[in-house]
Amino acid sequence: MKHIMDIRELEITAELAQIAFTPAELERLGREVTQMVSYFEKMKEVDTDGLEPTTHAFVKANRVRPDTVTPSTLADAALERAPELEDRFIVIPNVL
Amino acid sequence: MAKLEDSWRRFSEKSASYTAYAKAWEAKIGAFLSFNPQYKPTSTSSAPSGDSPVAGLPFGVKDNIAVVEFPLTCGSKMLEGLTSPYTATAVQKLIDAGARPVGKTNLDEFGMGSSTDNSALGKTNNPWDVTRVAGGSSGGSAACVAAGQVPFALGSDTGGSVRQPASFCGVYGLKPTYGTVSRFGLTAYASSLEVIGVLAKSVGLTRAVYDIIKGEDGNDQTSLKSEPGPARPVRKIGVLKNLTGLAPGVETIYRESLATLKKLGYTVVEVELPTLEYAVSAYYTIATAEASANLARFNGIRYGLRPEYAENPEDLIRKARTAGFGDEVKTRILLGSYVLRSGFQDQYYTKAQKVRTAIRRDFDRIFEEADVFLSPTFPTTAFAHGDTTMTSFQQKLADKFTVTANLTGQPGLSFPAGLADGLPVGLQVLAPVFEEGRLFEVADRFAEAVPPADCPGTSLDWSL
Repeated sequence: MKHIMDIRELEITAELAQIAFTPAELERLGREVTQMVSYFEKMKEVDTDGLEPTTHAFVKANRVRPDTVTPSTLADAALERAPELEDRFIVIPNVL
Repeated sequence: MAKLEDSWRRFSEKSASYTAYAKAWEAKIGAFLSFNPQYKPTSTSSAPSGDSPVAGLPFGVKDNIAVVEFPLTCGSKMLEGLTSPYTATAVQKLIDAGARPVGKTNLDEFGMGSSTDNSALGKTNNPWDVTRVAGGSSGGSAACVAAGQVPFALGSDTGGSVRQPASFCGVYGLKPTYGTVSRFGLTAYASSLEVIGVLAKSVGLTRAVYDIIKGEDGNDQTSLKSEPGPARPVRKIGVLKNLTGLAPGVETIYRESLATLKKLGYTVVEVELPTLEYAVSAYYTIATAEASANLARFNGIRYGLRPEYAENPEDLIRKARTAGFGDEVKTRILLGSYVLRSGFQDQYYTKAQKVRTAIRRDFDRIFEEADVFLSPTFPTTAFAHGDTTMTSFQQKLADKFTVTANLTGQPGLSFPAGLADGLPVGLQVLAPVFEEGRLFEVADRFAEAVPPADCPGTSLDWSL
């Protein structure tokens, strides 16, 4: 087993995860990621030919509900939790 | 059981001494991230709660489950200081039945861990030995029940996070059938695996709380009505043919307990579970994949940690996540993002979902041979804080007995089976979906023969 996977692969993954790492951090956490990915390889031993993937413990059928308006009183309380607010708009840095 | 609840009902009459008792324990174990015994919940029910088995009882809520006006931190710097604008369905049902949430309990950050040491906001100790961990991720909920700060608490179980801390702290821990308890108000970690569960001091109370919180909920599209088959007594208990890798103390209690169960009249049958050695791989593939998607919502924009300065929205998101998440959470997000990357999906994620099907088939066969399945909950008793004998990777491998129930959706209960060197050992009993009744039946009978031990220093008269 390789000690740690290609550091470039980890950098691409970190970019997708929107987390910044110092090279030292990426080496430290990358070691466990590598160890786990190698461990996942073990699943190759299981013969899964003809088995359907289980996506949820139970999927009976697609669940639908009536398309009706139901009142919610949560909006104001939810907005109040925003770090920066102007009227009912959440402020973020320059978009353009 | 009746006695236990009657003592607790004096909670409101003796609130001053109760608070003193709870705070004295709190200084030793740090079970709560927030504690407010004066909290006045709002019931949405007009029916009187007098006859409810939980009327008047205080309870703890894991801090990844919403209770309005209480903090909702998930043990993370990302959400430190956030209060919840609403209440989870499971909590509301308990409030409507007359119970009172008194605090939010510590956990591994976002439920990721087996020790509660991954909390960014507090340290929780095991009430049986404060140099040891309470287990995790619902460590605070297990510790506060074991210490008698509350008679029961809610936790969440994604891969064993209710059952393993229950085992470490010597209390009951129920992971219900997937979907039977609404997840509305539970901060999502791995949606296809997790469920809100119960930690309690007795089988009767565990069952009573489960009966109250279960039920279909319009706010959770995956919630289901529990539809158990016709009730019949449990006769056959399936156990693993070749069980290895247990700590000596756990092994002893396990063997003694099998003898006890035989004396109680149960037939113990040996069964095979060939997929067990792949369960941890399948579990962590699916759990981290779902976590990487679920935790994408924490971006510092609508709530939570926001960096002092950011150039643009992308910079803001990256800075918030980099500063807000701890190492274990970052590791799991990296892992989950990796297995979901284009080109790798079939190799890992889809393969894991097929292994999940194979595990389910194994259990379908086992439940033709036996009414329930029994194993230790965890291979060891509570380990010490900072113990280096179990690395983070080894802790994950040790989840092998608990993760199967999350992959299959089946219910599981950890019950206290005895002490090894003064530390609690829990055994786990699993049943087919909706058959929680079988779990309670076995645990109840076992408790008649081997009553669960009380943690030294616990009391119900709060006079200290």
